[in-house]
Amino acid sequence: MIEWIKYRRGLIIGIGAIILFAYWATTTYEPRVLASILLSGLTLGALYFLVTSGLSLIFGLMDVLNFAHGTLFMIGAYVGFTLYANPRLLLNTVPFVIAVVAGWLLAGWLPVKRIRTPGWLFWIGAVIVAMMAVWGFELAPLATTALSSGGRIPTEQAQAPTAIFVIRTLGLAVAGLIAGIAFLVGKEHAQQPLSAKLLVPLGMLTLALIIAPIRLSAEGWLLSLNSNTRFLLALLVGASSGAALGGLMEWSLIRPLYSRPIYQVLVTLGLVFVGTELVKAIWGPGGYFMELPEWFSRRGPGCPSPNLIAWLQDNCASIDVLGRPFPSYRVFIIALGLVMFIGTAILLQRTRLGMIIRAGVQDSEMVQALGINVRRVFTLVFALGAGLAALGGVAAAPFLGISPGLGQEFQLQAFIAVVIGGMGSFTGAALGALLVGLSRAFGDQIVLTGIQLPWMSEAMSFSPSIARASTVLIMALVLLLRPAGLFGKKE
Amino acid sequence: MLARLKAPQWAGLSLIGGLVIFPYVIAMLTGQPVDSGVPKFWQGMLIQVFILAVFAMSYDILMGYTGILSFGHALFFGTGAYTIGILLKHAGWDLGSAFVAVIVIAIVQSLIVGLLSLRVSGVYFAMVTLAFAQMFFLLAEATDFRQWTGAEDGLQSIPVPAWISPTTERLRFYYLALGFAIAMYLVARQIVNSPTGRVMMAIRDNEVRAKVLGYNTLIFKLIAITVSGIMAALAGALNALWNLNANPAVLSVATTINALLMTIIGGVGSLIGPMLGAGVIQLLGYWLNVLFGPSWPLLFGIVYILIVLFLPYGIVGTWRLRGTSWLEQWRRRWQELTVRS
Repeated sequence: MIEWIKYRRGLIIGIGAIILFAYWATTTYEPRVLASILLSGLTLGALYFLVTSGLSLIFGLMDVLNFAHGTLFMIGAYVGFTLYANPRLLLNTVPFVIAVVAGWLLAGWLPVKRIRTPGWLFWIGAVIVAMMAVWGFELAPLATTALSSGGRIPTEQAQAPTAIFVIRTLGLAVAGLIAGIAFLVGKEHAQQPLSAKLLVPLGMLTLALIIAPIRLSAEGWLLSLNSNTRFLLALLVGASSGAALGGLMEWSLIRPLYSRPIYQVLVTLGLVFVGTELVKAIWGPGGYFMELPEWFSRRGPGCPSPNLIAWLQDNCASIDVLGRPFPSYRVFIIALGLVMFIGTAILLQRTRLGMIIRAGVQDSEMVQALGINVRRVFTLVFALGAGLAALGGVAAAPFLGISPGLGQEFQLQAFIAVVIGGMGSFTGAALGALLVGLSRAFGDQIVLTGIQLPWMSEAMSFSPSIARASTVLIMALVLLLRPAGLFGKKE
Repeated sequence: MLARLKAPQWAGLSLIGGLVIFPYVIAMLTGQPVDSGVPKFWQGMLIQVFILAVFAMSYDILMGYTGILSFGHALFFGTGAYTIGILLKHAGWDLGSAFVAVIVIAIVQSLIVGLLSLRVSGVYFAMVTLAFAQMFFLLAEATDFRQWTGAEDGLQSIPVPAWISPTTERLRFYYLALGFAIAMYLVARQIVNSPTGRVMMAIRDNEVRAKVLGYNTLIFKLIAITVSGIMAALAGALNALWNLNANPAVLSVATTINALLMTIIGGVGSLIGPMLGAGVIQLLGYWLNVLFGPSWPLLFGIVYILIVLFLPYGIVGTWRLRGTSWLEQWRRRWQELTVRS
């Protein structure tokens, strides 16, 4: 019995703490206040989970602590918002990216082996061609939006004529091709045989070129869509852009540095800097506010909706929870977090890929030895984690607003959640995120109403920064009691 | 005695000599008086370099000599700045006792942060220290302490004693900062070359081995953190005196990244490297700012990533490797990067 208690010490202390806390919470707050605090906590927890899960998986699998995860979150928010409110910026830049990638892929079909010119000459050539292709391209006017009654819309800024746009696209495709050659020169590499695979890069190139003449009508079409559809598209595009960026990051910057782990961390820290500055350069240092889609924005008679089922019909901006209105959009965030949690859990537990990932967390060299291309799985998991974070970013945009500082805030809370939950553990990440979210919600409430200790005549109230800072104290407590985190492996 | 000096020592002495006469040289070249105009501007530039050099060097004691990667170094720098600011402005202390207080607070703070964070190692440590630094950043921004810290505006117009006022007594401040940098370098060199410093390096190379040899590694890591914390805090305090203010930015991640950048560019694992790095970064930042205007931080970040990728040994490290030819080095690095492992 005593052995058992000793072994389960952490668990017993934890349950005891939860019971004490629940007692304190139920006696201090009315049920309806408590319910809205809990729901707010769940909302934040869901967002934190989206960041933390990727962070934890990436660390568990490849021992890379991605300091730029919050930045990916922020970039996801910006891209999603841009699609939602100003697709012009995306329509005028995405074809360029597609063209470069298509050119790069095409290099695989060229007889590169016969080339004797050193690779660096090709790199320089690629850079020169790319610079020529984008010479005089102005991003800032495209990013400018104006506030109208229906939210932010693009201002009437002239975009480049189709002919110039096509030339730029083709030029970038050539630059990509040269860069692809530069990458392959001097490597043991088999020229790809002509096959249906060739259609992929060619199709991408065609797509990039097709977008050029229909940019304006596509923009009109996108903006005329129902805001709900646009919102779903924004979630999708934001998440996939995050995933693409994450994959690219792993492939180009993290992979060459697996032999020097410290430098990987240094690079990701540099990416925080670059990402924030890039966002400031494109979208400006100020913040944006993303309009809620129609599903979550109706006000007027009959609102707030009496319950969740009624909300499905009347789409009110808030739902009645025990007599207090609670924003329906936050319920959506909670649901999104839950769906992603279940989805990722199924992916990890029930699929072959998940099996490989779990095995890789245990021992990635062994997995490699079994004949599985672990490096490809690394890239995939990086992309997956980044995509989850970016999805969280888009989801957070209408709730918190968008600003270049968004990433750092979430990074900090996600780190704390990861330390609490234990690195590399998916359950730990989820639980840590939930704990941090709840403590933030309670902290905000306490800070708002103030603390009144028995000897004080009136309550001391604080600003929300104190609540934000206080989560670090929870982390310190967990570190003292269990340095490896709640679910982490002991070192 | 002079005959026994080796080449690096000659270089160091002549560098110091050059810096001592630098204000007068500039004054002569421009024909302006030494305490105004262009000479005054360049003195200011170098004062900033000296302060950052000490900050970067303190960072390298942790990263390069003890092998501890901290992402919360701004914590010490910023706390030093705020401590001296608050004590001078609100408590009315004199400069000497304020500096003593800075040291005492730095010791306490680094012991607390060290004891908590050293329960984890490696990247965890980086993460935990980052969280601590962010906590202080948030506290500095919090509106609750506005009367003490000035919240997001920071502490403005710290009353610096007239005899070292950076505006009117610039030249004196210049020599003060130079002396400070040299003194800190000597102290750091003394520590690094002492038996304690050797143990720190042993921990960096192989912590388990150091443990097996009978050293209590925790103590030595704590010493490293404390020493580096004190130096960073002193640099921060001097920075506050120089800028006449302390704002939350000194506690932000950007400050830590700055130290990292200077250390990496200068060369990890040497004392003089980070100091050189501070000079390079400060001057490069100035020129990039002149050339590219507001978008220079972006360029700066890209340069940083390229340096981490292609020049991981920094200036001093690359200089030490000079036995191998430049071309050979580049070829090796290139292979290391491009071979798909």
